[in-house]
Amino acid sequence: MTRTISHIFLLAGKDLRIQARTRHTFGLIAVLGVLIVVVLGLGLGAQAEVRGFGATAVLWVAYLFSGVLCFEKTMAVERNDDALAGLLLAPIDRSLIYVSKLVTNLALMAAVALVVTPVGVLFFSFDLSAAPGTFAGIIAISMVGFAAVGTLFAAVVSSSRLQGGLLAMMVFPITLPLVIVSTRLMTAVFRDGQAVEASTVGVLVAFDAIFLAVSWVVFEWVLEV
Amino acid sequence: MNRTRNLLVPAYWTATVGLFAAAVALTLVWTPVEATMGPIQKIFYLHLPVAINTFLACLVVFIASVGFLWQRKAWWDDLAYAAAKVAVQFCTVVLATGMIWGKSAWGQWWTWSPRLTFSLALWLLYVVYLIVRLSVESRARRAVISAVYGVVAFLDVPLVYLSARLMPDIHPGSVSLAPAMKLTLGLWFIPVTLMCFGMIVARYFLHRRIRQTTAAPAPEINQPMRLGALGELA
Repeated sequence: MTRTISHIFLLAGKDLRIQARTRHTFGLIAVLGVLIVVVLGLGLGAQAEVRGFGATAVLWVAYLFSGVLCFEKTMAVERNDDALAGLLLAPIDRSLIYVSKLVTNLALMAAVALVVTPVGVLFFSFDLSAAPGTFAGIIAISMVGFAAVGTLFAAVVSSSRLQGGLLAMMVFPITLPLVIVSTRLMTAVFRDGQAVEASTVGVLVAFDAIFLAVSWVVFEWVLEV
Repeated sequence: MNRTRNLLVPAYWTATVGLFAAAVALTLVWTPVEATMGPIQKIFYLHLPVAINTFLACLVVFIASVGFLWQRKAWWDDLAYAAAKVAVQFCTVVLATGMIWGKSAWGQWWTWSPRLTFSLALWLLYVVYLIVRLSVESRARRAVISAVYGVVAFLDVPLVYLSARLMPDIHPGSVSLAPAMKLTLGLWFIPVTLMCFGMIVARYFLHRRIRQTTAAPAPEINQPMRLGALGELA
């Protein structure tokens, strides 16, 4: 068990070191996220069409597009110079490669959320002070499911050198339950002042559990092709 | 075998079309008009059986995808592809009939009601399945990638349903039907199910045939050249 965890940290550490040294991926996805919020802010916020808790929907759009780009970039690192071949030769369980990529993606997404969320809060006059912990908790649970699916399909797209844009097409319909549930929860908490229902959060947790388990199992097959 | 098939296939489709005609006639002539919604309610007799059969087609995609990942036999992949095409076609009918009904009942073509949202999400999931297939050239890769997507998409279906239920609903939950209406609805299920099954099987055999035709190795060209062949060429 300790050995497994150390392998995951070793692989994720390698990825995060590459990202920290180049800072290319983080810069790209953070700026993309901010740009999306600004464009939607100009279109919706400036006309006061969307205000307050509506910012959560705008933030979701930013998270989704930044996330897809993040998943693509972190997997592309392995395709350059055929680094994946070396990784596959390493004497470790191949599903640990999936977990390490997931950890890397989650770390990068958390960093992007720390940049993009204050921008959305600012532009849409969203009063987060009512329940900041609930907001962070819902987004964190949703991001785990999003990254679980995104990391799996990034490996699929990367392994097949498919056309650009296909990853977004594969991930967005799958992650619709996350968007629906989390925006409903935000509306209940920030607009209606209600408490979070455990059964509703259960849908998010079920999504995370199902797709973490499935991705863990099928990741090795995806790498084979 | 071929002779039996030559007789069975036209008989199957003749029976399906005949039952469709009977169901339409029964709906238009015999079944009473619903008091609240009027004649537009009759679209429901097509809408519900097609919706149920969409789920069946999605289930076939899932079973065939799992079967392919388990056994790696090409026919599972052909079956999944055939069922996915039918699922998208049937789901398009569900969306179209739902929207026509919505326009009449609620005065607008689209509302974000749970069931409409669910149908749209289901349609998107399986349209993407077809696009993914078209985007991968290598046959082996295409089969694995679409099988993985087929499994993930089907597992997503109950989650989409659960999440869509959180949205405010104006869709009729349970419809109380007169005995004549129930009978008509029951009759509609037969041709629609026959059509779903028939379309999946027909497309499956078509895909099998395409695979067999295109997979046949081109003689001479793919064979490594024998040393003796040089002499023959000379």
